[in-house]
Amino acid sequence: MCNVINYEEEIAKFQPSLEVDQAEEAIYNNDLTDIMDILAMVTKGKNETEK
Amino acid sequence: MNCPNCGKPVADRRNRCELCGQDVTVYRKVYRLSNLYYNKGLEKAKVRDLSGAVLLLKRSLEMNKRNTHARNLLGLVYYEMGETVAALSEWVISKNFQEEENDAEYYMNLVQSNPNRLDQLNQAIKKYNYALSSALQESEDLAIIQLKKVISLNPKFLRALQLLALLYMKTGEYEKARKLLVRASKIDVSNTVTLRYLRELNSLASGEGQNGKKESADPAAQFEVQTSYREDKPNVMAYVNLVLGILIGIVFVYFVIVPGIRTGLNEEFVAKQRDYSSQIAGLNASIDSLESENKLLESKATELQKELDSIVIPEYDRNMYDSLLTAVEEYLNYTKEATPEGAIAIAALISELDTSGMENENAEDISTLIKDAIYPTAAEELYKQAKALYDEKKYDEALPLFQTLVTYDMSVGNYVYYTARCYHRSGDGAGAVPYYDYVVEHFPGTVIARDADELRKGLQ
Repeated sequence: MCNVINYEEEIAKFQPSLEVDQAEEAIYNNDLTDIMDILAMVTKGKNETEK
Repeated sequence: MNCPNCGKPVADRRNRCELCGQDVTVYRKVYRLSNLYYNKGLEKAKVRDLSGAVLLLKRSLEMNKRNTHARNLLGLVYYEMGETVAALSEWVISKNFQEEENDAEYYMNLVQSNPNRLDQLNQAIKKYNYALSSALQESEDLAIIQLKKVISLNPKFLRALQLLALLYMKTGEYEKARKLLVRASKIDVSNTVTLRYLRELNSLASGEGQNGKKESADPAAQFEVQTSYREDKPNVMAYVNLVLGILIGIVFVYFVIVPGIRTGLNEEFVAKQRDYSSQIAGLNASIDSLESENKLLESKATELQKELDSIVIPEYDRNMYDSLLTAVEEYLNYTKEATPEGAIAIAALISELDTSGMENENAEDISTLIKDAIYPTAAEELYKQAKALYDEKKYDEALPLFQTLVTYDMSVGNYVYYTARCYHRSGDGAGAVPYYDYVVEHFPGTVIARDADELRKGLQ
C-alpha cells in the first residue's frame, strides 16, 4: 500500500504531444500493418511454395 | 468483405473468392474479430472508459486496418482526450482507406472549419510541450503556470491535467492535484495514470506517502492539515513583510540617504554663501570708492558752481549800441550838412555814451573817431555860447556849458577856469576851489593860473 512515487520518473514518462504541423509526419510514421496483411503475406508465401 | 487477394467483394455466405479462388475463411474471422473489438471499444467509449476504448480500438485496427468505423471512433476518443493531432491523423488515414461515405471527413471539417479553435488547440499543445520541458528541468513553478494556460485553452487535455496534478503533488498542493485528477477521471474514468495518482494522493493525504511527515491517529485530520485550502486564504504574512520592507526602506532613506543629500546641499550652500560674501565685499568696496569719488566730484561741482556764480556777465545794453548808432547816423547827416548845432548835438550824444560796457572794440573806435571829428567844432561853438552868457553875467546858465566843455576837453585851461569862475561868481566858492586848484596845477605860469591862485586865496 505504501507506494513511493518518484516524481522525476513519473514526469519522464510523459511524452511530448505532436503539434498540428507534425501531423503529416505522424501519419507517414504510422505502422498500418494489420493481421490481414500478415495473413496475405503468409498465404502468398504458401501458394508460392506449393507452386 | 472484400477479397484480400484481388480486392473484389466476396459474398457473406461464401468462404472463397469467386473471382480469384482465395480462401477467405480466416480473413472473415479476423474481420469479425476486428468488428468485435470495435463494438467493445464503442461500449467503453460510451461509458467514458476512453483508455479502455483506445486499447480495444487499436486492437480492432490491428486486425483490420481498413475498419474505418473503428478508426474514426479512435480519432474521436483521441480528440476527447485532447490529443488533437492523433485524432486528425486517424481521420486522415481513415479517409485515405475509404474516400466515400466516411464520417472522418465530417469530423475533420468540424475541427478545421474553425481556424481559431484549431490554433488554440495547437497553442495548447505547444505550451504543454514547453511545460513538460520545464518540468523535466525541475522548474515546477514555470511548468505549472504553462499547464494552467494549457488547460484553459483545452480543458480536456488529459495528459496536461495529469502532469499538472503530478506537479501539484510534488509541490505539496494535494487538494489542487486531487481536483485536477477528479476532473481527469471525469474525462477518462479508468485511466490508469489518473487512478494511480489518486491512490498515491490518498496515501500522501493519509500520511502514508513518501513524505510521512505527520503520523496522526486521525488520518482525516492529517489530510485536512496537508490540504492547500489554507493557501486560498489571504497570506497575511506576505502583506506584513511587504509593509515591513517598505518601512525599512523609508527608514534607510531617511537615515542614510537623506543626511548625505543634506550634507551635500549644506556644503554647496556654504560654498555659494562664501562666493556671495566675497562678491558682496567687493561690491561694497566699489560702492565706497564710488561714494568717495562722488563726494569729490560733488565738491568740485560746488566749487565750479561757486566760480560760475561769481562770474558776472555784463548785461548786454541794447540802448548803448542804439545811442552809438544814433550818434553815427547823426554824424553821417552832419557830414552832409555841417552845422554848429549839429556838432553840439552829436557831441552831447557821444559824451553820454559809456563805451566801457562795449565788447566790440570797433564801437569804441567809432566813438573815438566821432569824438575827434566833432568835439573841436562843438567845443568852439559851445565855448562861444558859454562865454557870451558869462559876459552877460548869466553865470548859472553859462556854468552847465563850461562843465560840458570840461568833459569834452580839460586840456583847455579856459574851460576849467571859466567853470571855476561861474561857480565863484554864482556864490559857490567851494565848488570853484577844485577847478582853481586844477588850473594852478596844470597850467602854471599862465595868466589864468596866477589869477586862479589869487582868487583861490581870496576864498580861503
